[in-house]
This record gives sequence, C-alpha cells and structure tokens, in this order.
Amino acid sequence: MAARFLAGLLAFLCLVTCSRSVPLTESSKSGTRVQVRFWHMWTAEWKTVVDRIVERYNQSQDQYEVVALSVPPTGAESKFLLAVVGGDPPDVMAQWQNVIPTWADSGLILPLDDLMSPADRTTFARDAYPVVKKIGTYRGHLYGLAIGVNTWACYVRLDHLEQAGLDPAATPTTLEGLVGWGRRLDSFDRQGNLTRLGFLPQWLLLYAPLFGGGFYDEATGKLTLDRAENQRALAYSVEQRQKLGIDRVTRFDSAQNAGFGVEWPFAAGSLSMTVDGQWRVEQLAKYAPALKYKVVPVPPPQGGQQGAGYANGNFMIVPRGAKQARGAWEFIRFWSGLADPAAAAELYTWGGWLPALPAVASAPAYQRYLERFPQFRTFLELMPSEHLVTVPPVPFQTYLLDRIEAADQAAARGALTPAAALQRLSGEIDEERARRKELGYER
Amino acid sequence: MQRWQKDLVGYAFISPWLVGFVVFTLGPFLTSIYWSFTRYNVVSPPVWVGGANYAAMMRDPVFWSSLLLTVKYALVAVPLGIALGVGLALLLNVPLRGISALRAVFFVPSIVPAVATTVVFIWLLNPQIGLVNSVLGLFGVHGPAWLREPTWTFWSLVMMSIWTVGGTMVIYLAGLKDIPLHLYEAALIDGAGTWQRLRHVTLPMLTPVIFFNLVMGVIAAFQHFTQPYMLLLQQAPEESTRLLAVYLFERAWRYLDMGYASAMAWILFVIVVLVTGVLLRTHKRWVHYGS
Repeated sequence: MAARFLAGLLAFLCLVTCSRSVPLTESSKSGTRVQVRFWHMWTAEWKTVVDRIVERYNQSQDQYEVVALSVPPTGAESKFLLAVVGGDPPDVMAQWQNVIPTWADSGLILPLDDLMSPADRTTFARDAYPVVKKIGTYRGHLYGLAIGVNTWACYVRLDHLEQAGLDPAATPTTLEGLVGWGRRLDSFDRQGNLTRLGFLPQWLLLYAPLFGGGFYDEATGKLTLDRAENQRALAYSVEQRQKLGIDRVTRFDSAQNAGFGVEWPFAAGSLSMTVDGQWRVEQLAKYAPALKYKVVPVPPPQGGQQGAGYANGNFMIVPRGAKQARGAWEFIRFWSGLADPAAAAELYTWGGWLPALPAVASAPAYQRYLERFPQFRTFLELMPSEHLVTVPPVPFQTYLLDRIEAADQAAARGALTPAAALQRLSGEIDEERARRKELGYER
Repeated sequence: MQRWQKDLVGYAFISPWLVGFVVFTLGPFLTSIYWSFTRYNVVSPPVWVGGANYAAMMRDPVFWSSLLLTVKYALVAVPLGIALGVGLALLLNVPLRGISALRAVFFVPSIVPAVATTVVFIWLLNPQIGLVNSVLGLFGVHGPAWLREPTWTFWSLVMMSIWTVGGTMVIYLAGLKDIPLHLYEAALIDGAGTWQRLRHVTLPMLTPVIFFNLVMGVIAAFQHFTQPYMLLLQQAPEESTRLLAVYLFERAWRYLDMGYASAMAWILFVIVVLVTGVLLRTHKRWVHYGS
C-alpha cells in the first residue's frame, strides 16, 4: 500500500516537474542570450503586433532575448506594484495610465536617463518631439519613453458635407466656422431629437490649449486651472451646447457609444464631424473602406493658438529592481528608433502609431504608410508643435484628471457656470495639495 | 483523551476556516486601523501621521457630499425596499395555481450579478433608445435622461435596488408562513376585516423579519458600491453616484491613498455600528417576538 502511494506520489511529482519544465526549455533555447521580461497591456489583435515586434527584436539580437507577457489592463497596475514590492518585477513594461509622477515619487521606476548613453541622451534631447518629452519627464528626469503617441484631430464626412451643400475643400479654419458648419449638418426627428450631430466642441482638455490656455505652466511648474483662457474655452463649449439644447445633446450623447469599426458613430453616420484619435484611420480602412472622409486639425477659435491640442501615449518604463535594466533599455532603443530609425519605422506601421522621433517618421517605410493612409498625416503634422500638451506632471495626475472632467461635465450639464466649475476645480486641487502636504506626500 | 486534546482536535478540524478568517478578514481588518493613522500609498512602507487622515477628511467636501448621498440613499432605498418586499410577499402568499413559479420569477433578479443588472439597466434607461422611455412615450410622457441628470440618476439607483427586492421577499414569505393560524382565527371570530388582520396580526408578527431586513438593508446601503461605480464609469453625474464606498475605493485604488481610504473605511464602520446600535436599542418598542 505504502509502495503504491509512493509510486503515485513520484508520478505526480514527475508530472509537476515536467509541466514546469516547459518554460525552462523555452529559456534554454535562448542559449547564451540573457532574457529580458517585458510586460504590456495589449490584447487581441494588438498583442499579435507586439509579438511581431518582439520577434523582430529577438531575431536582431545575440545578447538579449525579450520574453513578452500580455497582462490584462484591469489588473496590470496592481500586478506591477505587487511585483516591484515583492522584488520580482519585469525588466520593462509598456504603460499608458497616468502613473509616471506617482511611481517616480515612490521610487518604483528608474530614471531612463541613467540608462541612456551620452549619445542617446543627446539624440533624444535634440530630436524627440516636444510632447514626447512632456509625456515622460518628471522633475527633470525621463522616466517613460513614449513608443506611441496619441493625438486628436477632426474627422469630417465628405458625403454629409456634399448633402448639405458645403465645399469639402474649404473646411473652416476657425472653431467658430466649424461650429457653424456643424449646425448646418445637424438633423432631427419629428420630436425634435437629434438624429445626427454636425459638430460640437466638448472636451476641455483639448479645447483649453486651443484657446491659448492649458492646465500647467511649464515655465513656473505650476498648475493653471482657472485661467481666463480655460474659462473662455469652457464657456464657449457650454454656450454651443446650450444653443443646441443641453437636454437634447445629453440624450443624443447617451445614445452613442465609443464604438469600434463600423459601430463608431462617425462611421455609422450619426456624427458628421467629430474629434478623435489617429487609430480610427486604420479602423475605417479596415471596416468602412468605402467611407469618404478627411481629417483636419481642430481649428483654434479666432485669436486662439494654432497647432495646439492634447496628446498622451504608450510609454516604456523600467521598474526598480529590474534584473536586466540594460537589456530593457536596449529593447526600448530598438522600438523607439533611437537605435535605428529606419528599422523602427516598419514596426510603427504595424501598429499605426505616431513615433517619438521625426527620423522614424521620415524613414521610407513610414512614408509609404502615410501614402497608404493619407489621413494619418494630419496627426503626424501636429507632433512638432510646442503647443501640444499632455497631462500636467503632478503626483496626483489621476485625481487631477478626474476633477477636470468633473468640472467639464458639471458645466456641460448646466449644474455650474463655467467660471464656478473652474473655481471649484481650483479649490479642490488646492485642498488636495494641502492635504498631501500635511500628510507628507508632497516634498 | 483529555479535554484540551478534544478541543485541539475540534480546532484542527475548523482550522482551514480559522486560518482563512485570521489571514483574510481579521488581519486586514486590524491592519486597516493602523493604516488609517499612516501615509500609505501601497508601494512604500506606511509612515505614521497620527490623526492627520481623519482631520483632512473633516475638511474634504467630496467626503461630506458622498456621506450625505449615502445617507439619503439609505433613507430612501431601504424603507422602499421593505415596503415593496412585504407587499410583494403578501401578494404572493395567496394559494393560487402556479404561485411557486411566480415567486421564482420575482426571486430570479436577486441572483443575477449586480454588474449584469447594471448593464441591462444602462440600456433600459437610455433616454433616446431605451425601453423605459419608449414605453413612457406611448403614454405621451417625454422620459428624462435617466443616467445623465443627477436627480434621475439617484432614482435610477433606487430603482435598481428595488429590482432585486425578490431576495428579501422570500424571507418575508417565510415569515408569513410562520404566523400561527389561530391568531387569524381569533381575529376573524372577533370580527376583524382584512385590513385589521393585516394591521394587527400580520404586520406585528412579521416585525422580527422586517427588523432583520432593516438592519441588513442599512448595512448594505452604506456599503453600496457596484452599481453606482459602474454608472460613474458611464459618465453618470458624480453628485448622484459617488457614494461613500465608491469614493473610498477611488481613494484606495485609483489615487493609491490607502491610509486615507482606511480612515474613511473606519468612519464608515463606526457609522454603520452606530446606526445598527440605534436600531437595536429601539427595536423592543416595535418588534414583537413570539405569539
């Protein structure tokens, strides 16, 4: 009986050992190469693209081998935090949440400039798009290198313009003009409900810079929440909403969803002109290839700021305790194009991403991509602008964004006047800062 | 076998639960008291800050608005849930063919996960293409933008809580079945009508069950999270969805402010204990035990 039990136990242990040996075999395949563990949050078709990039990198390497792991976005942050605290973090991670200041302040991530060679530092400082530096820099150090930037521009349906007798070649160059076109493109049902929205400016984070405002002054390093330009941007947005009817717009908005592919309200035909990101270009090519549209920069109001807008991105971070920080940096160099812009350009076309460096954008592979998707060029042309802003680099970014959105919504619903909404926002952030100071969070 | 040895065997048998309770419930519960007096962002070691979290909370307008909203929700949803639960139980307590199936129909929503219920309600309450406003439209009523206007979002939350009233209805039904028939016979002999029997026999005899559901309902209302949080993610107005449990979660996991969130959790705990204590102290005046 005892012998049978022992035999069974041995068989079980053997099974366990064999099943554990799968990854070990995988690592031994790398031979003398050092493994670099890479976590990212892309899934489905995006994961395939990332796997291709990793494969391309591994083919180019005799020193490192990147092993990618797709972590579900919902649990990625807590998994990362626990891994770092537990002393077993990945070597590099691709993130897109507002984590850089908080994690940098907590000593969770390493300044990348410590890993960069002097040549890399010079190239990055000289060549990288201004907004790429803004996205990754905190307290004078680069903590995250953007490997894909998101910008927003205005998608315009040409068929709707033609139906309304508007000349597609003469898209307005002012926000007021675009709003005017929007009203000509609106359509309603018998009850007066909106069935198609022409255009409505509604997103304070984007419109504040276009009005010459913004939420952060880089020169002084201070937040500028209720400055006059921001108030004008919010007031203008609310005014347009009021003209169309707040209740009517609210009902229309809630019947729309973010949508993917043909379900995107613009592709479905319920939006004639709308502001969205560059990723829609490939979606439309794939799911609505017959749709005739153009993409133009969101125009500023009269007297506003040309080339202004909002951007964020996917960026690479290296955690504290990474065992292969050097290997991680080599992978970041490869993907971002610091190592070889021409080679990186091809990777960027696989994902339809905006690069960190102009050298990548001007490489032949990327230029061919732009010829294939000419609408994409509008987004790329925004990149060199100094007036493209991102989330202010404060260690409470998520809270700040939540409160800005709350102020935007309160004004849009008519619950507060634009001035009162921004005053409330300013008060809330002051209070938060005081609280953080009192608790010792703020240095 | 000695007494202590017998005890030891007993504890050994329940040790899986004991260990689980100590590690996953009691431990975190006690640790959170310490955290509430610290600055703790989950990743760095906690730093003692005394009562600073509690002091900051007293000045935090979002904390106060969340607390007031939670109290309002508890004051509205709990009594309404009790009234409808009792009413439904009375209606479904009649001896009819197929009544069991009908009871099951009313009970089923209470076992549907809260996330699924919320998703369905988001579509039902869509102002332009939702079923609720379409039905109202048949009667010439222009339905509101349920989940976008603060007043209506609050009532939508209440409506969602009522949707699951079948769970408590089953308990009321059990309570009704437990009322001795001789009390009704005596009332009938004394000439009591339907209303009088309900008022003077059924409801008093049901008060222990009502009391139980009241206490549980109040506790659940103060901890209400899933539905308001999901609505908040769907851009519902925050002033009608940010209940205290939602704000607590945001502070802990969105803003990584575990010390502050722990302090908030303890304030919530004290409030729930106080309210339950008040209910327990007053229940002898209106709860009737025994026949």
